[in-house]
Amino acid sequence: MLLALDTSTDWASVALFDGRDVLAEETWRAQRRHGDELFPAIERLLASTRSALSSVTRVAVATGPGSFTGLRVAIAAGQGIARGSGAALVGISTLDVLAYPHAPSKQRTCPLVPAGRDQYYAAFYQERNRKWQRRSPFIVASLAEICRQIGAHTLFVGEIDADAEGTLRDLLGPKALFASPASRMRRAGYLAELGWRELETRAQVKMGEIEPLYVRQPSIRVSFDQPFAPPPADERALGLPKRS
Amino acid sequence: MRILAIETSCDETGVAIVEDGRRIRSNVVASQLVHQDTGGIVPEVAAREHLRVLDALTEKALRDAGRDLTEIDAVAATVGPGLIGCLLVGANYGRGLALAAGLPFVGVNHLEGHVYANWLYELEGGEPPSDPPPEPLIPAVVLVVSGAHSDLVLMEAHRRFRALGRTIDDAAGEAFDKVARLLGLGFPGGPIVERIAKEGDPNAFPLPKAALADRYDFSFSGLKTAVLRLVRELEKKGTVPIADVAASFQKAITEMLAEKTARAAAEHAVETVLLGGGVAANLALREEIARRIGHPLRVPRPGLCTDNGAMIGAAAFYVLRHRGTEIPVAVRSDMKLA
Ligand SMILES: [Zn+2]
Repeated sequence: MLLALDTSTDWASVALFDGRDVLAEETWRAQRRHGDELFPAIERLLASTRSALSSVTRVAVATGPGSFTGLRVAIAAGQGIARGSGAALVGISTLDVLAYPHAPSKQRTCPLVPAGRDQYYAAFYQERNRKWQRRSPFIVASLAEICRQIGAHTLFVGEIDADAEGTLRDLLGPKALFASPASRMRRAGYLAELGWRELETRAQVKMGEIEPLYVRQPSIRVSFDQPFAPPPADERALGLPKRS
Repeated sequence: MRILAIETSCDETGVAIVEDGRRIRSNVVASQLVHQDTGGIVPEVAAREHLRVLDALTEKALRDAGRDLTEIDAVAATVGPGLIGCLLVGANYGRGLALAAGLPFVGVNHLEGHVYANWLYELEGGEPPSDPPPEPLIPAVVLVVSGAHSDLVLMEAHRRFRALGRTIDDAAGEAFDKVARLLGLGFPGGPIVERIAKEGDPNAFPLPKAALADRYDFSFSGLKTAVLRLVRELEKKGTVPIADVAASFQKAITEMLAEKTARAAAEHAVETVLLGGGVAANLALREEIARRIGHPLRVPRPGLCTDNGAMIGAAAFYVLRHRGTEIPVAVRSDMKLA
């Protein structure tokens, strides 16, 4: 059995997958409470399927890009679970998870994840020679910059609020397509499928090698009066409590 | 009872295995040298580093102790106070490890860890010593001083703390860091200032000590500003006698800390005075406090004053023994000792 954990953004999701079916799944708006809510959610999954953690032999975690702090919650938990149970651990990009269910649409697909400071993490996915794949590096940019790379009709998925949707429509006109609100959300069931497939085809990497896709460097500035540098925009966007 | 304990609240990643709250079976600490370039701790950089090394350190702590997970009785991790992004790494890793191994998870207050570092002792040649040091006697007055904290507390019984005073501005270790940076000495400031101060005259420059009259609170920002002003003046005149400035600063800050600690010990009927936290490793501070009190003084060895997993393992044992109804698990960046 595979346990999938995703705390990449304000939205969190967990799922149990047996290699064929999703047995249970929970998706919720955790905002900044991932740290407190992840384990109760895992315990509910196990209880509702009457499973013991000892039957979990594989763990998949979403590796971003996304909220730096959020990503580390699921990755650290996944590493701990894998260390404690001997399960195999795999990391899958959050943008891969968002794009995956839209592969059958055959549309060029662009998942968006808020990166703070009016920027988004994005990547482009497309079918070519019958193969659905990511066709760009992971980027972090404003919507205007992202749209500058778009010539054809593009299906947007992920966390797109009304403002972002308006901006994309202004910039791209009829070329901007939007998946329905429910189908553009992230669900750990998809992460589980991708993680299972990855572990079927690839040998387990070392646990410490599963790290968040940070894409962006932390801002570093220290002054005489402030020994602790200011938090990165990422934490501000998440509204995390300040250091005491 | 054997506890695997994790510490990731600031810039040190620590994992240890501690028996019965006292005996250290293994204690591995990775200090993050990456912050030396910036002269301060960058929370995001620290959190990244914790996640990068934590699993490997856990594996090493188990190997050093010659134990596997089936021989562990509980998993503990610091849940506050500290940098939230850093705390979340250790706490979630620890909870995952505990859940998967079928063990209880114990969330530990970092400051309790610094107090209980005084209960720890080490193996001798791989074996428990024939006569381990006795447990510190309580009630006790405890001074926890580090880069993030300056707390003076009364420990009435195990896990029963009463706040006497705390810093109203900078932490003591922060003051050391800032003065070190001002003098161009590097980071972290505590050990460097202490070393340079040995070659200086502590009476070279009289520096002001905050007058918070009869309260137990501390204030170090006035002292920091006075050092800044002094250095600027000396710069105008020519070269700055760095060792003399460092020694004068160290004298002022240790007297401030020692004076209130000694007064607290005199005013409360306690058996012992305990120190903890990175600044407690400062020899001048220990001597100054010992000189002023009529009580036995206990200080962990320097490696156990700074952040480490063993102190969390010691505190976790007493959490389990005196827990009341619930074991804490939630991460809180602003947790207090009392
Ligand atoms: Zn500390």
